[in-house]
Amino acid sequence: MQQETELESVKTAKRDTTETRRRGAGQWAVAWRRFRRNKAGLAGLFIVLFFTFIALTSPWLAPYPPRSFQSLYEGEAGQPPSSKHPFGTSRAGIDIYSEVLHGARGDLYVGVGATVVAVAIGIVIGAVAGYSRGAGGEILLMLSQVFYTIPLLPLILLFARVFQIMVVRGFGLTLILLLLGFFGWSTISFIARGEILSVRELDFVQASRSLGASRWRIIFRHIVPNILTPIIVTATLLIAGNILTEVVISFLGFGDANTSTWGITIQEGIMYMRTEWWTPVFPGLATLFAVLGFNLLGDGLSDALNPRLRD
Amino acid sequence: MIKTTKANIVVAGITTYIIRRLLFMIPVFLGVSILTFAISNAAGDPIALIRQGIRSAPPQVLEALKAYYHVNDPIYIRYLYWLWDLLHLDLGRSVSGTLVIDRMGPWVLTTLELQVPALILAVLIGLPIGVFSARHQYSKSDVSITTFALFGYSMPTFWLGLMMIIVFSLYLGWLPPAGAAGITRIWWGSEFGDRIAHLIMPLAVLTYVQLATFVRLIRGNMLQVLREDYVLSSRACGLRERTVIYKHALRNAITPIVTILGLGFGSSLSGAPALETAFSWPGLGYQFVRATFALDIPLIVGITVVITIMLMVANIITDLFYGMIDPRVRLG
Repeated sequence: MQQETELESVKTAKRDTTETRRRGAGQWAVAWRRFRRNKAGLAGLFIVLFFTFIALTSPWLAPYPPRSFQSLYEGEAGQPPSSKHPFGTSRAGIDIYSEVLHGARGDLYVGVGATVVAVAIGIVIGAVAGYSRGAGGEILLMLSQVFYTIPLLPLILLFARVFQIMVVRGFGLTLILLLLGFFGWSTISFIARGEILSVRELDFVQASRSLGASRWRIIFRHIVPNILTPIIVTATLLIAGNILTEVVISFLGFGDANTSTWGITIQEGIMYMRTEWWTPVFPGLATLFAVLGFNLLGDGLSDALNPRLRD
Repeated sequence: MIKTTKANIVVAGITTYIIRRLLFMIPVFLGVSILTFAISNAAGDPIALIRQGIRSAPPQVLEALKAYYHVNDPIYIRYLYWLWDLLHLDLGRSVSGTLVIDRMGPWVLTTLELQVPALILAVLIGLPIGVFSARHQYSKSDVSITTFALFGYSMPTFWLGLMMIIVFSLYLGWLPPAGAAGITRIWWGSEFGDRIAHLIMPLAVLTYVQLATFVRLIRGNMLQVLREDYVLSSRACGLRERTVIYKHALRNAITPIVTILGLGFGSSLSGAPALETAFSWPGLGYQFVRATFALDIPLIVGITVVITIMLMVANIITDLFYGMIDPRVRLG
């Protein structure tokens, strides 16, 4: 008899855990339901998926290989948009349509990759700065402030120039990716630190500390998953910013001349802008829509994930 | 005995605050200058670059140049020489032979000539538009304002500039596309009109982009503030809508914006290379790009240092404004 009640209580306990688990997973379902109602956010998601698809399949989608001057040999350089060259060709004989498709690959690689690097650095530095109370935390906070204050674009341009000619060659776009990541983590670290300061004293953290969990285990097993939402939003917006910066870097001629990017096509077009307007116009439009997509997605995620606005 | 009035405390707080910020500037400044100095010197020594210009330099001249740039010393000694010269307001000579410090004044002014009016215009236009947009959330005009702003901050600034050059300079022929470099800084006489003509397009582009960011922030902050209880209660007390919005709500919505405004100034200063290059506007950014291409080490280091100082000063001014607008913020 007693055994049976015990069994019963175990059963209820089991039901309870499954229920809580379902509610835990439901958090994302609630967010998705909120997001689905947001037309602008959905539009952003579709634009981002569209550009991701292009970036993944550009070698097969594009009629010409990247950085190919083949149209010159076909006698079709400097032609306005036509059915064979939907976005026209540049004076040097580059098919702009192919170049825009290949550029999506290059620019998304840099934009997303640099953000991954920045988020990784930012979370580690911000988490440690927020969690440790000693001088180490102060120094890390100061380091973030330094990286927040310094003029990033000039420094990135200088590093790109010197690295390309002197220190390491053949890195191509990955060099730009790493530079953007290493210089751009400060916002993420501020957010991580702020969130950790508010989560640090909560009961579940105290509980795991009293169970003897190590500092690193507490930070990365218990705290980081709790601060992911604001970081996801910021990271999405950071991708947009990184794409814009990459376009600027290539436009100024500090990028990788052997890989297709939107910025380099714009730069090659400005010499003959008077007669051949299509060369700078289309890669710029591509940049505009890609960045717009990530911005819309970021705003939509911010609305959907913000618990204060949840109804 | 000094009477400690409230005003006294505030002033003392601000003074210690400024001192603290100035002290914080020192490590930032040293960090940036060491980084720039090291990386640009990794690119080669100035002598080799000068020799590309002068094919047959007499040995005495070469010796003198080597002594001037301290080529034979290790890099940290060279950095200390550079720092010592900087304390005497000397940034060295560029590879072309001119004193770097002499070039900085005009370049800084040229950059500010573009940045400051753009910032002022963006604030003046952005405030009422942002407030209007927040008060009529999800109305047709709000949607169009938000879309207009969204395009503004999703666009490469320099590209918008190029599009304007194509339309207004190359096709319509109304405005000069570039070439402000040739005009001396005279704010009167016949050159005045020319200078203005060169300024219009870059100013319009920069204002639009700043305006876009600004409108977005004001709208977002206002929306949050308008949900607060005290807005409801002041309405319930029968205050006029104008008073509620502009006196009570806006004051609270504006504080975070002041910070972001300072940062926006910083980022647009940092982003100046692209816009200034698109318009050949001879400010700090344009000159930085040219110096970096030429690997003119003293010039690169000089411009970076000047931009860093400008950024830090802008940050301090922003924080002071912040304390002025929001009395809850105690600096110190």
